[in-house]
Amino acid sequence: MRQRCIEDWSRGSSRFHRVHATAKIAILLTFLITVSTMRSAVGWFTAGVFALLLATAVLADIPVLRLFGRAAVVLPFALCFAALSAISGRTEAAVLLIVRSYISACAALLLVATTPMPRLIEGLALLRLPRFLLQVMQFLYRYLSVLMTEAEAMRTAAQSRAGSLTHLEFRRAAAIAGVLFARAWNRAEAVHRAMTARGFAGQLPVAGAGSFRAADLAFAVTVCAVIIGLRFVLP
Amino acid sequence: MHIPDGFLSTPVAAAMDAVALPLVAGMARRAQRTFDDHRIPLMGVMGAFIFAAQMLSFPVGIGTSSHLVGGALLATTLGPAAACIVMTAILVTQALIFQDGGVLALGANVFNMAIAGVLAGYVPYVLLKGQRSGIFFGGLLSVVVSAALALGELVSSGVAIPRLALEISAGVFLFCGIIEGAITVAVVSALERIQPGIIREPHPAARRTAAAVAGLAGITAGVGALAASAWPDGIEKLTRSAGMTAGAASFFAAPIADYKLPFTAGTWPGRVAAALIGVALVYLLCVAVSRAFHASKAATKREGA
Repeated sequence: MRQRCIEDWSRGSSRFHRVHATAKIAILLTFLITVSTMRSAVGWFTAGVFALLLATAVLADIPVLRLFGRAAVVLPFALCFAALSAISGRTEAAVLLIVRSYISACAALLLVATTPMPRLIEGLALLRLPRFLLQVMQFLYRYLSVLMTEAEAMRTAAQSRAGSLTHLEFRRAAAIAGVLFARAWNRAEAVHRAMTARGFAGQLPVAGAGSFRAADLAFAVTVCAVIIGLRFVLP
Repeated sequence: MHIPDGFLSTPVAAAMDAVALPLVAGMARRAQRTFDDHRIPLMGVMGAFIFAAQMLSFPVGIGTSSHLVGGALLATTLGPAAACIVMTAILVTQALIFQDGGVLALGANVFNMAIAGVLAGYVPYVLLKGQRSGIFFGGLLSVVVSAALALGELVSSGVAIPRLALEISAGVFLFCGIIEGAITVAVVSALERIQPGIIREPHPAARRTAAAVAGLAGITAGVGALAASAWPDGIEKLTRSAGMTAGAASFFAAPIADYKLPFTAGTWPGRVAAALIGVALVYLLCVAVSRAFHASKAATKREGA
């Protein structure tokens, strides 16, 4: 499962892990906006930004190579559009697209690699995102691996009984999706009954919510200042 | 088609964030009203189902494969508001955990797939009174509309796409739409055999709203297409100014005249600051409205008690 190793990383105990999620979200947004204003792909600013990402990953005790390797999932999409740009004769813009999207993916990955999901939800709740949406997200995340395992098992079963080993036939895939849908629906009703029996009344309790401290604010302001400073100082 | 970060220009991304934020808040309110609190687990689990169903790929043509997108399927089973919230939750999870789609580009992706895509999937279903053809056209339209919007946003951000590639991708979108329509119908029929009663019949009163939405969307698309064919130079100019100088996107930050802060006219920090102030204004407005709403609700509750 792809999200498993991110979960393991996010349970670390480094200085960066302990910063409040809202502060990290603010830093990420500042970083992404600053990167989106890059006008040339090869330069000191790119190097500086990469150094910043690298330093954070090392300080947060996250396997650097695996982190940077995982961020490469954006490359197929980026390469496709970069090729179109290059065909139109804008090679520089093409390289810029690849570099910007890759750096942005690394940064977003660093946020989830240092923040467990419940903390992340807390951080988003502090930013006043609709609580209803956040609760749906929590359930979605909780049942993600359950349903993915189930889908995987059903696909293996279908493949071992009939059909090709690589892909399912269209109608068979649709039938499996239908069964999976009905099972998911029934599972959700069972989950709801069990939760009601345990006293659920439409609100999920938040365990051990940390408060946003002055130190978090100071950290966010410092890092944001460094990022914006890099953009101004380096060409 | 999930747009990653780094593709949209700052004004386009900020404009889409500012548009999507209040729409999602409104949809969350509506879903909460029509779909009682106690069914939060259902929406979350159905979101996880869409993730799992996307693993079931089937071959299309030679060497390529496709899978369910799910906007139309969710709309026909959960209703449009709940489907929109589930799709938003899916997109946020994909952007954060799977790096599928960007964080700054979330507004654009949410608007394309969770709002426009879900509505485009639901309107034909309601207009054709819940028939199979309605479900098919819903699936088709949801994919075509989301993909066309994504392409439009990329082009107006100044991403160079040759004309031929645009024409080819229009054909590809149509093809993907037909596949999505077919798989949505197939899943719904399988579902009706396995467990009748899950599919919601559209409410008759919803048809007028759906017709209005369809008419409005049709007019917008028609005017846009006419404008694009009548003044291709104008569109190109507009595109260039949105991508490069940000002048065109001033509509969403009306208080900031000409979309520039006076002291840094035209430089990148000025544009970014103006975009941020625009988003911040919308954000504060949303918080204020929800505060007011809660206060009035609490007041009526007290009066009632």
